Amino acid sequence: MAKQNLLPIDEQPERYQTLALVMTVCAAYLPLARYLNWRVSAFVALMLMLRFAAVRWPAAAPGRWLLLGLTLVGVANCLLANHTLIGKLGGTSLLATMLALKLLELRARRDHRISAIALCFVVVVQFLFDQGIGLTLYFGGIAFMIVALLVDLNGGLGSTPIRRAVPVVLRISLQALPLTIVLFALFPRLTSPLWSLGVDQDRGTMGMSESMEPGSISELVINGDLAFRARFDQHPPGSDRLYWRGLVLWEVDNRKWSPGRVGQYQTVNPELTQATERIDYEIVLEPSQQRWMFSLDLPIEHPPNTVLSSDFQLLSDRPITTAKRYRLSSALEFRTAMPAEAEQRYALRLPANTSARMITLVKQWQLETDSDWALVQQGLDFFNREEFHYTLLPPKLGANPWDEFLFETRSGFCEHYAGSFAVLMRIAGLPSRVVLGYLGGEPNRIGGYHLIWQSDAHAWVEVMIAERGWVRVDPTSAVAPFRVDNRGASRLLGAYAPARFHIDSTGVLSMAIRQLRLLADSIDAVWQRSVLDYSAAEQTRLLYRLGLADYGEFALAGIMVAAVTIVMGLILFGLIRQPDAIDPASRCFSLLCRRLAAVGLERNAHEGPLDFAARVAVARPEFSLRVNAIVALYIRGRYMPNPTAADIQSLSRLVKAFVPTRQRRSFSDTKRRKYLT
Amino acid sequence: MDKDGVARIAAKQIYILPTRIGMLYGTTVIVMLLGSLNYQNNIGLLFAFFMASVGLVAMHHCWYNLLGLAISMRSGPAVFDGDAALFEVTLSNERAGSRYDLRLSGGLDASTPVYLDAHDQRGISFAQPTSRRGLLWLKDIEIETRHPMHLFRAWCYARGQASVLVYPRPAVAAPPPVTNSGDTHRPAARTGDGADDYIGNREYRRGDSTRHLDWKAFARERGLVVKQFGGDDGVEVWIDWTALRTPDPEERIRLLTRQVLDADAANLRFGMRLPGIEIGLAGGPDQMQRCLRELALFNDGQTEPAPH
Repeated sequence: MAKQNLLPIDEQPERYQTLALVMTVCAAYLPLARYLNWRVSAFVALMLMLRFAAVRWPAAAPGRWLLLGLTLVGVANCLLANHTLIGKLGGTSLLATMLALKLLELRARRDHRISAIALCFVVVVQFLFDQGIGLTLYFGGIAFMIVALLVDLNGGLGSTPIRRAVPVVLRISLQALPLTIVLFALFPRLTSPLWSLGVDQDRGTMGMSESMEPGSISELVINGDLAFRARFDQHPPGSDRLYWRGLVLWEVDNRKWSPGRVGQYQTVNPELTQATERIDYEIVLEPSQQRWMFSLDLPIEHPPNTVLSSDFQLLSDRPITTAKRYRLSSALEFRTAMPAEAEQRYALRLPANTSARMITLVKQWQLETDSDWALVQQGLDFFNREEFHYTLLPPKLGANPWDEFLFETRSGFCEHYAGSFAVLMRIAGLPSRVVLGYLGGEPNRIGGYHLIWQSDAHAWVEVMIAERGWVRVDPTSAVAPFRVDNRGASRLLGAYAPARFHIDSTGVLSMAIRQLRLLADSIDAVWQRSVLDYSAAEQTRLLYRLGLADYGEFALAGIMVAAVTIVMGLILFGLIRQPDAIDPASRCFSLLCRRLAAVGLERNAHEGPLDFAARVAVARPEFSLRVNAIVALYIRGRYMPNPTAADIQSLSRLVKAFVPTRQRRSFSDTKRRKYLT
Repeated sequence: MDKDGVARIAAKQIYILPTRIGMLYGTTVIVMLLGSLNYQNNIGLLFAFFMASVGLVAMHHCWYNLLGLAISMRSGPAVFDGDAALFEVTLSNERAGSRYDLRLSGGLDASTPVYLDAHDQRGISFAQPTSRRGLLWLKDIEIETRHPMHLFRAWCYARGQASVLVYPRPAVAAPPPVTNSGDTHRPAARTGDGADDYIGNREYRRGDSTRHLDWKAFARERGLVVKQFGGDDGVEVWIDWTALRTPDPEERIRLLTRQVLDADAANLRFGMRLPGIEIGLAGGPDQMQRCLRELALFNDGQTEPAPH
C-alpha cells in the first residue's frame, strides 16, 4: 500500500479498472480450461481467486518474496503437468500461469496495460487448439475488451469516463475492421513454416483407419464427427449412388482386411473402358493426419499433388493436417479394364481360417448357377433370405469371425457383410477386394452441399467379372429392410444417424433441430472456405486475376500497402471532414462579413466587430442601423455567458435579411479608398 | 498564431512517437503475426491483424486529437521575484467532436488531463518559476496527448504569447527612506504604548522589545525583524537610489523595493527617485504599483552596474 501512494495521480488505477481487467482475463482463460492439464487450471484458478481477494482486501496481495515463491511453484506445476515448457500445451500452460501471476502485482496503470497486452498472447495461442467461428467471435469480444481497457486506462475522458470510452472504442474497432480485412486478404503468406516447435505433432490420426476388422467401422460410426463436405456442380445424384471411395483392401487374414502390396501407392493412372455420367464436384476434407482422400466412385480426374493408384485410390502427397479442399470429376457409370494376371491371383488369396462350412456353401451356389454374375446374385440372395440382421450392436465374434458371422451370429454391420462376402467370392474363384469409404451423406439445402459424417462410413465389395472388370457389390444393401435394427442406431447416434437407418424424424421439434444444425453447418462451411482455408494459393489466384502473377509476393505486398493507405486515407478523410461547426452566432457574423466584403467593405484581420461596425457606419451610413443591431446581437450571442435562443434567432433573421448593395458609380473609387483605410 | 490571437495547431506542427507501452504493443503484434504465419493459423493472423489495425487507427486518432486545437494564453498578476508566475492557458475545442486527454507539460506541477466537449474550452493555470525581475515571457508550452490507448504520444508546441511582470525580490529589511525635508529621519524608538502608525522594519538589535518583533517575517525566514512605529499621517518620504550606499545595483533595487513596500504598508505618501526616473509624491496602491513597476523594469531588468 505504501508503494501505491507514491504513484502520480494519473497512474493510480481505479478499482473498477482492476476488476474489469481481471474479469477479462478470466473470460479469456475459460475456453482454455478444456485443454490444459487440471493442475495448471487449478493453479491459475487459485491465483485468480487470490487476485479477486486482493481487490476486496488490498492487504491480501502477496509481497515480492511470496510472489517469487509462487512463480517458482507455478513453473514447477507446469513442468509436473506437461513435462515440458515448450510446445503447444507446455507453452500455453506456462503463458497462462505467468499472466495469472502478473495479475497479482497490479499496482500502477502501467501494470494493467502490460497485462492487457499480454492477454493477446493467451488469446492467440488458443487458436492453435480451435479455430471455430464460435470461439473466434468470443475472442472478438475479448479483443474489444482489451481495446476498451486500454482506452479507459489512458483516461482523460472527463467526469464520466466509461460513458465516454464506449464511443471511442466503438469508433476505433469499427475503423480497424476494414483494415483487418485488407491485411488478412493481402498479407503474403508463407508456403512452408519457418520453424517448428512441435506444435502439430501431438495429434492422433482421425477418421477411418487403415484396416478393417469386425467392429472397426461401428466404432467410427458412433463418432459424430464430420468427415468431409461435398458440393456438386450439377444436380447431385441420389444418395444411394453416393459411394465415396476411400481405401481398397486386398489382404485378408484370420481377423482383418488390410491394404495389399498390389496397386497401393502405384502411380500409374488406371484405365477405364467406359466412363459415362460424368459429374464434377468439390470436396473439403477435414484433417485426418492420413494420406487417403475420398472420391465418388469412380474418379476419372484427380487434383494436383495427388496420386490416383491403379485400384482407384486417391492419395495425397502429404498427410492431411489441415482442412483440404480439392476438385475432381467422377463417372457414375463405368467399366474398368481387366486387371493383370498377378493382380487377379492376389485377389484370390484366402485366410487360413477358411472353414469347411464356407466352402460347402459356395460349392452349393456354384452348382446352382451357371455364370459368375449369377453366383454373385446367389450370394446376395443368401444374405437377404437368411435371418441376417443389420445392427450397430453386433455380438462379439471369436477366433474365426467370418465363419461365426455367416453361420452363427448372423447380425452385424457393413464390415461384417463386406468382409465375409469377399471371402466367399474368393472361395468361388472370383477375384474380390473390399473398399472402405462412405455411403450417402446429408444434403444441406441451405448451404447447397452434402455433409458426409463419420457415421456414414461404409464398406463394400468389388468383384471381378469377366468382360466387365471390377464390379461394385454391396452385400449390406441385400439385408431385408425389416431386419435393419434402428433402435441401436438411434440410441447411439440420435439425430446424427445416417439416413439408411430410416429413423423417423418427422416430429416438428426434431425437424427444427435438424434445420438449425444444417444452418449452423452452412455458416461453418463458409467460415471454413473463406477464412480458414485462405492461403497462399488463393492469393496467387488473386494475382493471376489481376495479371500480376509474375511479381509474386512483391505485387501482393505492393497492393497491400496501397490498399492500407487508401483505407487509412478514407478513415482520416472521414475524421477531418467532420464539420468544424462553429457556433451559430459566429456563423451569422461571418455571413455578414462576407456580404459586406462583396460590396467592398472587407473586415481587416485585426479589426474587432465593434471597430468594423464603426467603419462601416462611416463608409455607408445607410447600413449603420442594421449593422450595429447585428453586431450588438452577435456580441451578446458570442461572448455573453448564456446566450438565449431568441437572440440567436433574431440575429440569424437580421443577417439573412440584410443584403447590402454596391455603391453607385458616382462615388469615386479614390474617395471610397480614402474612407476605407 | 491566427489573427484573433489564438494559436491553432496545424498538421505539420504535431509530432508523434510511440510510448513504451506502444513499443510493447507493437512487439506483441509482431510476435503474434510471425507465430500465426509460421503455423498458418488464419484466425491467429486475423487477430494479429486486428490488433495491428487498432494500433494504426489509434495513431491517427492520437494525431487528430491535437489537430486544430485552439490555444490562447493570458498573463496572471504581477509577482515578486522568487514566487511562481501564473499564466492561464486556454484550450478550446472548436469542432463538433470531443477532445480527450490533453495535458500541458513543463509546468511547475503536473497538470491533470483535460477533456473538452464539442465547442468547449478550459483554462489551465500554468505556473512558471521566476528568477529575476523584469518581464517574464511565457515559455513555449508543450501540449501532449496519449489518447486513445496510450500507445502513442503526440505533442506540439505553442509559442508563448503572454508575459508577467516580475517585481524585484524585496530585501528582508531596509533602512528607512529619506523624509521630505531632506534630513535622514530616524524615528526614535519609542518605548511607550504609542499606537502609532507603522513606518517600516529594521533588523533586530539587542534591547528591542519583543512585542515589536515581526513574527510573520521570522516565519518567512527573513530573520529577526522589528516593526517600527511612529510615523505621523502627514509624513512624506522619498525613496531614493542615491540615498543608499550598497554597491551592488540589484541589491540596491531590492532595498528600494522593501522601502516601497514598507512605505505603502505605513500608509505614507512617498515618491521615488531612480537614475533618470522620478515619480512624484503620492500614496495608495496605485503609487506602490507604479513604483514597483519602475523598479522591475529599471534598466530593462538588467543587472549591469548602474551609474551613480
